[in-house]
Amino acid sequence: MTGESYVATRPPGWQGQLGGCGIASCISLDGRTIPGDSIARMLTIMEERENGLGAGYACYGLFPERKDQYCLQLFFDDEEGKRSAEEFLAGRLDIVHDEKVFIRRNSTVTPPYPIVWRFFANVPERREWRGALDLSEEDYMVELVQYINASVPKAFCVSSGKDMAVFKGNGYSYEIADLYDIGRYSGTMWLSHSRFPTNSPAWWAGAHPLSLLDWGVCHNGEITSYGVNRKLVEMNGYRCTVLTDTEVVVYLWDLLVRRHRLPVEVAAFAMAPSPYAEIALLSPAERRLAEWVRIVYREAFLNGPFSIIVGRSQPEISLIALADRKKLRPMIAGVSPDGGLAYCASEESAIRIVEPEARTWAPGAGNPFIAAVGKGVLRKGTEPSFQGVRL
Amino acid sequence: MSEGAGAGKRLDHRLPERFVPTIDHDLCRACQRCVKDCSYQALEFRGSRVVPAGGCVACGRCIAVCPANCIEVRPVPPQFAPHGNWSERARRAILAQASSGGVLLSSCGADDDRPAIFDDLLLDAAQVTNPSIDPLREPVETVTYLGRRPGRLDVQDGRVVVREGDTPLIRSDMPLMFGHISLGSISYNAQKAMFMAAKELNIVAGSGEGGLHPDLYEYADRICSEVASGRFGIKPEYLKEVAAVEIKIGQGAKPGHGGHLPGEKVTAMISETRMIPLGTDALSPYPHHDVYSIEDLAQLISVLKEATEYRTPVGVKIAAVHNVGAIASGVVRAGADFLTVDGFKGGTGAAPRVIRDHAGLPIEVAISAVDQRLVREGLRNRVTVCAGGGVRSSADMIKALALGADVVMVSTAALIAMGCRVCQQCHRGLCSWGIATQRDDLIARLDPYIASARVVHLFHAWNEELKEVLGAMGIDSVESLVGNRDRLRYRGPNPKIAEVMGVKHIGEGWG
Repeated sequence: MTGESYVATRPPGWQGQLGGCGIASCISLDGRTIPGDSIARMLTIMEERENGLGAGYACYGLFPERKDQYCLQLFFDDEEGKRSAEEFLAGRLDIVHDEKVFIRRNSTVTPPYPIVWRFFANVPERREWRGALDLSEEDYMVELVQYINASVPKAFCVSSGKDMAVFKGNGYSYEIADLYDIGRYSGTMWLSHSRFPTNSPAWWAGAHPLSLLDWGVCHNGEITSYGVNRKLVEMNGYRCTVLTDTEVVVYLWDLLVRRHRLPVEVAAFAMAPSPYAEIALLSPAERRLAEWVRIVYREAFLNGPFSIIVGRSQPEISLIALADRKKLRPMIAGVSPDGGLAYCASEESAIRIVEPEARTWAPGAGNPFIAAVGKGVLRKGTEPSFQGVRL
Repeated sequence: MSEGAGAGKRLDHRLPERFVPTIDHDLCRACQRCVKDCSYQALEFRGSRVVPAGGCVACGRCIAVCPANCIEVRPVPPQFAPHGNWSERARRAILAQASSGGVLLSSCGADDDRPAIFDDLLLDAAQVTNPSIDPLREPVETVTYLGRRPGRLDVQDGRVVVREGDTPLIRSDMPLMFGHISLGSISYNAQKAMFMAAKELNIVAGSGEGGLHPDLYEYADRICSEVASGRFGIKPEYLKEVAAVEIKIGQGAKPGHGGHLPGEKVTAMISETRMIPLGTDALSPYPHHDVYSIEDLAQLISVLKEATEYRTPVGVKIAAVHNVGAIASGVVRAGADFLTVDGFKGGTGAAPRVIRDHAGLPIEVAISAVDQRLVREGLRNRVTVCAGGGVRSSADMIKALALGADVVMVSTAALIAMGCRVCQQCHRGLCSWGIATQRDDLIARLDPYIASARVVHLFHAWNEELKEVLGAMGIDSVESLVGNRDRLRYRGPNPKIAEVMGVKHIGEGWG
């Protein structure tokens, strides 16, 4: 690829991006670890879904030794960006360890390459942010990360959760896998994404997965309600720094599930609700919940075509896959014959390449697939909307 | 007013006619239906022919009733010596005021030719990267709820708890409502037609500030009762039996102004409905005399909520003025469950022309200002924003939604659907269509069943057009359009307007 390429610094005039994509994920249901090569094979087989302008991987269950510490992975344009970020973090986080993230220097990926750095940190007891005290650890981290991304020059925090990290950049899926030597990592859950954006320049930090705290989101689609969704997250204090619809999806999950403590099924319903005509057919209790979710979280409704895979490590490593309410973008799920691994991807080929005998099915429109490490598939995405939700 | 040396003398000049009804006498059957129907007496039967008698306002009634189709109403060509600065309009105004010495009244919305900003906005559509949706094949939803929203749901012991606001929400099947037009400014039949249409469409209709006639309570569950500064017709059932209550602070056509229904229009029916003596002027003070500040408004909102036992949402209507964003935020903080913003081009039955034509803010800018302000203050997802004032078409409605209105308020267009030709003579009470009049013989011309059916047609058509546009944008439910300014572009002469509205210029993508 030729053309301009940006790393941590947002390209001038950047107004967001859109396009098609391939997404793939796998999760260990029985606790075994999954090597990075496996997810790379899943993603790269879907080569028609990308055009070399971005790909990425997120690994969960990656740091069992340090799983209670926050892992911040940052892109720096240069040493100056690194110094600025370190200056900012000093005193604000208790950094217990930091290291350079391995990157090959002889890749086919278009330079410039970022410096990628990893910090393991604890959140200090005294958590003061702009005069506010006693923020929760998570809220404090959100403020720090968003500040870095909005205001620290030449630095961008690409992941900030516990027991997880994001590896992404501007290139084809196989190039990014090679660049980071993704095979050197293994974890209990992987998300991945390859992009077919319809615009350039390319921006490393804008590639997927997009992540905040332990949330990681890979997204295929275009949210036609972006302007509305953005208002809701901004009203709740999130700062949009990537300016993509996917970024807003990350914040919505954080808002609805972590901060408002909605069950995942309910949050998924808010993002991909049933039409009122279908809601009218539900039982009275479910109907009331459905109507109120639609009314209260109207601005969380993700309109337009999308399929997303969402990962989190807190309180447990789990995978959510969701397609829009008309299912205008593909999503297929599968389980290995031994029941130990589950998969979600844009295409069946992604699952078959690593698990030829997998049992696959199609989750429904607006119907979330949910699985957790060590627990199994909690929801196939074919159940009634509020099955399992306490009413 | 002292008339000095002119006292007792006839002061008015004869001015050129503006319109002249022209009869094709070859076709005319001399049935005189036109003469009978012309409430402005602009036609007379002289000898064996119908001839113009002066004073034609182009209401078009004669054309509609002529069985021979032989009447044309022609605008009279300019009769004033041309002058680039002294327009005919300016000179006529001066001549009229020199004759009367009074404040010039007019009706309907501002009639000058300042272009609507709506016309400078272009809608987006989906291509390739997202699929458009055919509303005839797939559901595209237009259901809208009106009222206060709690901002979040609570979860207790893993159970999702719906904690409603202190007042209920009103469901509307379309993001449209009928604006407030009082009984008094329009006839009983016209108001009944509007309420019937609201019931059939399952949308809300404003009562206007003139109370609610006892026979119209059958539509109460679709009516938003207006509490204006005159407090006309306010009794327990006017507040308790209706869908919603709205405090009227201002009206787009006359911000800062009250209302005046002349005594001759206060017929027995109006007197009974407004609860004022027969034949007396119905004067709405400029401010509410118990609302001189925002804290007073908060008290009035609370009083109404108490009075209605929290069974109806209570909203506040304000005219779009220059500081509308901050005022809106204050109103929401004062406890309003919904906020109605009425724009510069909004209609009226009578307003001083100087205010109608020169005070206020175009609704397009006002909606954006309110929406952006409420977002910035974290209040936008708590309150419903209704907006109107010069919405002429489904395109205007759709743009108003995209600029940030939840519900678009429409009045003049509904009256046009009934028969109004916007001749702007409402203040004279002679409406030949039986709409803006209290004369029984004129009222009888308007069949509320036919008028209602026509209004239902219009709104249904607009809603279908909304679905078509939503589908083309790749949006399958209207809430995803509300305030989605990304889907608009500005192509007008002044990019500053676009910047203020938070709308990108044509040619600016987002990807």
